[in-house]
Amino acid sequence: MEAPPVTVMPVTGGTINMMEYLLQGSVLDQSLESLLHRLRGLCDNMEPESFADHELVYLLKGQQGNPFMLRARRSLLHPTAPWHLRYLGQPEVGDKSRHALVRNCVDVAASHSLPDFLNEMGFRMDHEFVAKGQVFRKGAMKVVVSKLLRVLASGNTENTEPMSLSYLVELSILAPAGQDTMSEDMRSFAEQLKPLVHLEKIDPKRLM
Amino acid sequence: MSGGPAVRVSMESQCERQVQEVSLDGLETYVPPLSMSQNLAKLAQRIDFDQSSDSEQESREPWSALKFQPSLWPWDSVRNNLRSALTEMCVLHDVLSVLKDKKYMALDPVSQDPSTPQVFQLISKKKSLATAAQLLLKGAEKLTKSLAENQEQRRQRDFNSELLRLRSQWKLRKVGHKILGDLSYRSAGSLFPHHGTFEVIKNTDIDLDKKVPDNYCPLNVQIPSDLEGSAYIKVSIQKQSADIGDLGTVSLFRRQPKAKPGSQMWHLKLEAAQNVLLCKEIFAQLSREAVQIKSQIPHIVVKNQIISQPFPGLQLSISLCHSTGEKKIQRASPDKSKPDDHLYVLEHNLHQLIREFHKQTLSSVVMPHPASSPFGHKRLRLAGPMAYDKAEISSLQQSEGLLEKIIKQAKHIFLRSRSIQLQLNIGVEQIRVVHRDGRVITLSHQEQELQDFLLSQMSQHQVHAVQQLAKVMGWHVLSFSNHVGLGPIESIGNASAITVASPSGEHAISVRNGPESGCKVLVQFPRSQAKELLKSDVLQEGRWTHLRGPYREVHWGRMEGRNFVYKMELLMAALTPCP
Repeated sequence: MEAPPVTVMPVTGGTINMMEYLLQGSVLDQSLESLLHRLRGLCDNMEPESFADHELVYLLKGQQGNPFMLRARRSLLHPTAPWHLRYLGQPEVGDKSRHALVRNCVDVAASHSLPDFLNEMGFRMDHEFVAKGQVFRKGAMKVVVSKLLRVLASGNTENTEPMSLSYLVELSILAPAGQDTMSEDMRSFAEQLKPLVHLEKIDPKRLM
Repeated sequence: MSGGPAVRVSMESQCERQVQEVSLDGLETYVPPLSMSQNLAKLAQRIDFDQSSDSEQESREPWSALKFQPSLWPWDSVRNNLRSALTEMCVLHDVLSVLKDKKYMALDPVSQDPSTPQVFQLISKKKSLATAAQLLLKGAEKLTKSLAENQEQRRQRDFNSELLRLRSQWKLRKVGHKILGDLSYRSAGSLFPHHGTFEVIKNTDIDLDKKVPDNYCPLNVQIPSDLEGSAYIKVSIQKQSADIGDLGTVSLFRRQPKAKPGSQMWHLKLEAAQNVLLCKEIFAQLSREAVQIKSQIPHIVVKNQIISQPFPGLQLSISLCHSTGEKKIQRASPDKSKPDDHLYVLEHNLHQLIREFHKQTLSSVVMPHPASSPFGHKRLRLAGPMAYDKAEISSLQQSEGLLEKIIKQAKHIFLRSRSIQLQLNIGVEQIRVVHRDGRVITLSHQEQELQDFLLSQMSQHQVHAVQQLAKVMGWHVLSFSNHVGLGPIESIGNASAITVASPSGEHAISVRNGPESGCKVLVQFPRSQAKELLKSDVLQEGRWTHLRGPYREVHWGRMEGRNFVYKMELLMAALTPCP
């Protein structure tokens, strides 16, 4: 049986096309405390929310083109919460003046049989990692400060080691397609974090 | 020189002998002069005999050049000096004598400073004073400059300390060279799209020379123009419906809230603006719900007023009263609405409800786990995997809106105000009971007293209910007594009794209700219906049979009906024959 064809059409999630606006940056371990303080003050007044997630990246290799990638993520702190399946499209090549990285995003909540389902569909797990950190929120903006840990033995999330001596900081907004005002709010928020962390648009294609 | 007369010069040798000693009385003792032989010996000692024999031939030649004058005598140099002095003096004398004639020679004075010593002193004093004055002036200038700087610094420091105080209570951030602040509730969970930004400006219109006013503040805040003034939400219940023309004209205003002592002007301004913003949000939410939610009697939204009818004949009006404070407040109808028409409780509840709503958006229930999933209620995230249908999803959504909740509360208030008979004031030592008809009763701490009192009130209330029911049903009250003196004595309070007659007069109901003895209901039937009727020859005409006769007791416990009022209503209905 030949491999199923990989679609090259844009993927949409139902009727509403959601876009993810993203800015990324990083801080060293020793500067983490001051960044968390700053975020605590700037973001909505809530108790800081910690998380520990295990993410698996699945690839579907077709004969032609790039492999299709899906990200499956589960919470280690809330084992009964549903899995989260995410598709992220290519970054939109809009005008250069747009401050954030914009890409198509499809989010699906899934039951705990997701890994088996994906395996049956033909996806193969490419890599996995554990992310631990805190989530902040300001209105519709989400700030995630996470430490990425390498999983040493596949499937065993207890045995992990940090990938680097720094924390990844991501500022993101999920909005329907067409609303461009978000990037302005994101830019002004990023300005307020300026000396501690520089959040900028990082094109993933340039890293490869 | 040699022509003049000889000048006699007298000379005297000085007694130049060394002083050996000066005695205490001033007598000097000289060293005795050397005698001839001593002098010779001294001179001989000076002769170097060795040298003279060797260098005799050598030193003869330079000596031969020197001519000896045989007539050289020791006073020669003296004489020469004197002579030259005489010459000089003679010349001087000659010159002076020539000058005296002024014919051949004149004296020309050497050019000197024409000012006299006094003028010179004045000028020098002036100069020195000028230098001193300049130094003093320079010093004074420095002092004034430093003083001005100090005052400016103090004003700056005041501004900075005031800014610090402002920052301790409000959110501020610096954008460029402006200081902006946020007075909205967005960081507390509100989703109202108003920006709520205010600007902090330095108050520079102060004259340092004049006295600083007491309420001077180096800081001033500029709030958005649509949040100026103050506002409140007015909730009122009216029995009659207002005229159509009166809708949307509610703009009465109550007194300004008193400023707390010590609170700065900017604080009051910002608080008022924040309150206006919250009232606007509440009204926007209410009006949105009023339009969207379908109800039996549609709600009317007119300008700044929402009108709904919770009960027929009862009107609930919610209005946003915003006064900017500048223009005169137009009084819509000052005589119609009374000050106690305003239900402050519901206004407070509206504020609390909107804050609850804010808190819900911030609760940790909304936070995503895993972190990459979007914000949303955690139970709603299960809708996909658990395949919820529409009914389940809608049950997860917020059930009631703000408007429905407020209408329910208004209904409750209305019913309570209709049915409340007494009001309990529970104090520290005693309980004070205020009855609806104005009686005030003070009870002690023993709970039995309160219990007894409530029981007695209940029994009285039942009798009152009969009275009200009679009015409604058209029965006539024949007698009514709160404290009857007949029958068994109650240990708690007094029994009360009422007698009502049917509209036709044929039947009558007597009720005696006591806290202890319970309820006793008797019905009076017309004589014609009584079974055991004694025939009497006093009453001869038949019309007397229509009069009411004997009483019969009703088994109240077996009577149909959920409560006393239902039972009484049923009894009355049963005794009223249909026409």
